[in-house]
Amino acid sequence: MLGNFGYIGIFLLAAIGFAASTILIPVTLRFLGVVPRKPNPTKYTTYECGMETVGKSWVRFNFRYYFFALLFVVFDIQVVFLYPWAVHFNQLRLFGLVEMLAFVLILLVGFVYAWRKGVLQWK
Amino acid sequence: MNIYLLSPEISLLALALVVILLDLFMDRKWLLGVVSVVGLIVPAAFTVALWGTNQTAFGGALVVDQFSLFFKLFFLVVVALVILSSTDYAHKFAAFRGEYYAILLLATTGMMLMASTRELISIYVALELTGISLYVLTGFLKDDKSSEAGLKYLLLGAVASAVLLYGMALVFGLTGTTHLREIATAISAEGLLSSPALLMGIVLLVAGFGFKIAAVPFQMWVPDVYEGAPTPVTAYLSVASKAAGFAVILRVFYEALGPASLDWGMIFAVIAAITMTVGNVVAIAQSNIKRMLGYSSIAQAGYLMIGLAAASTTGSSALVFFLVCYAFTNLGAFIAIIAISNKIDSDQIADYSGMARRAPLLSLALALCLISLAGIPPTAGFMAKLYIFSAGIDSGLVWLVIIAVINTVIAAYYYLRVVRVIYLGAPLSEERVPSSGALRAALSFACLGVLALGIYPWMVLRIAEVAASMLLP
Amino acid sequence: MGVGLEHFLILSAVLFAIGLYGVLAKKNAVVILMSIEIMLSAVNIAMVAFSRYSQSITGQVFVIFIMVVAAAEAAVGLALIIAIYRRRKTVDAEKFDLMKW
Repeated sequence: MLGNFGYIGIFLLAAIGFAASTILIPVTLRFLGVVPRKPNPTKYTTYECGMETVGKSWVRFNFRYYFFALLFVVFDIQVVFLYPWAVHFNQLRLFGLVEMLAFVLILLVGFVYAWRKGVLQWK
Repeated sequence: MNIYLLSPEISLLALALVVILLDLFMDRKWLLGVVSVVGLIVPAAFTVALWGTNQTAFGGALVVDQFSLFFKLFFLVVVALVILSSTDYAHKFAAFRGEYYAILLLATTGMMLMASTRELISIYVALELTGISLYVLTGFLKDDKSSEAGLKYLLLGAVASAVLLYGMALVFGLTGTTHLREIATAISAEGLLSSPALLMGIVLLVAGFGFKIAAVPFQMWVPDVYEGAPTPVTAYLSVASKAAGFAVILRVFYEALGPASLDWGMIFAVIAAITMTVGNVVAIAQSNIKRMLGYSSIAQAGYLMIGLAAASTTGSSALVFFLVCYAFTNLGAFIAIIAISNKIDSDQIADYSGMARRAPLLSLALALCLISLAGIPPTAGFMAKLYIFSAGIDSGLVWLVIIAVINTVIAAYYYLRVVRVIYLGAPLSEERVPSSGALRAALSFACLGVLALGIYPWMVLRIAEVAASMLLP
Repeated sequence: MGVGLEHFLILSAVLFAIGLYGVLAKKNAVVILMSIEIMLSAVNIAMVAFSRYSQSITGQVFVIFIMVVAAAEAAVGLALIIAIYRRRKTVDAEKFDLMKW
């Protein structure tokens, strides 16, 4: 039992050690004068390649994403039920199929509602 | 598995979906209300046809007996009256009429399921189906008060259901099952009665369900939500939501925790005494009639809980009978308020002054319902109180009944104050108050119910007894 | 020393208390909603732990239903918060005082 925690402890130490050493080694080398210090603007950018970042990271997301998040939740939830259902499909037989069809149909009505109300369009 | 047993719920759900789709693909919006009311005949017919069966389905999760069928019919009648009375109110959210009716029907589906499940997971899902629909309905007006009320209701409701779930988790953990009957067997077989964890579970369950029926100290949402919500929704909340809460409490506590009835009987007795006193005392100070009826409904929940505290078949049948009387009375009062406040655009009691001269029939109906709430004969409220008090005395709760009688006297003061304002106050204007035929039909039905139950209660009482006798094995 | 049922229950109780504290002490309505989710997660942990130790799968089924219902509840909650924010430009729960509590 203690052994189980022992393994976790070893992993924890290794993880912390790795993270600490990647930070400490460059700092030490810089301190010892091994690494030269030649700053330039490119080195100070957030990413070495890719898009330049604009503004701060604490921005508000556009409110319109909310509707898409909501629709995502609906289908996400559907999948939560579909997985256990699929695993046991062989035992559930026809009854299971009909029940799942009813479930999906009810969700479909919600989807049709969202579609008719124009939620799927980016206004 | 017998799908037929679930036919009332399935047909009601189908009706809700049909209303949504009609709203999307049809232009004649006035038809939606008609379709909702007429469509209710189908689930009602299924419910009546099932009367007399006593079976279970879905591995014992669904139970169809006279208790659940009685409540199903009850909820269907209530939602029909609410939809009828909404016709005068629906212009305030004209663009969302279809959603309004559909969500009302969905909430009713949840309540019907609440009354007929014997399994904790289904109880939770049914409870939340009702709850989430009601949160949406409360915020339906989208004005400042309404959305604030909706959010408050949602936040407090979600906390209550989290507490309830924790209680369910404890009960499940102790007994290893979520079926109510098996929980009862496990409790007596394994001698869990003295277990503090079970007591903790019971307390959490009482807290979670207490929120739904608005028992003190879980009543703080009631006045705000009742004031902010659209008036038909307030009527629905105060009647159907409360009845569903009591139905599920009766099921859970009688069938699962029956062996521990000494514990929870005492808890309910104390809560009942506090609830009715707080409700009545605070109601005296109110100037908004919806808020006043909110506190009055808290007090009525206190009277209702005498039936729970009695922990006997007499108690539960008196409770069921009280619920029916309370439903007719409160619905009648709210329907009259819908018509009046529609015209004067105010819920202040002072603005009702002299209403008897502007709307004689509406005022008469409102006065009748207020008298019934106060418990004065020959109305339904009097009979209901009589039966629930005698059930309390039968179970030896004399102290509780004495407190309840004192409360009835206090309550008469603020109910009759409104009646006095209506009849003796000087009218603020001479304009008549209009109302639609649908609303008048609903109001007359409610008032006839109040009078009929006050004069000839035996038939409903008999049915209530049959329904309540289903609870104990 | 093994990890037993009581450890999970203590974790669940602590999480539940943290969530309850958040509900009672925080002002931002969104944060209150998040605290409620923490409370529900605490319940889920207790359910799964009980389910594991009583050899009954019911607890895990219960958890799936709790997660699904909680998602629906959060969606409705956010919708109501947005409805309020559009009119009042605030999500501070202490400013929702049109009607006294």
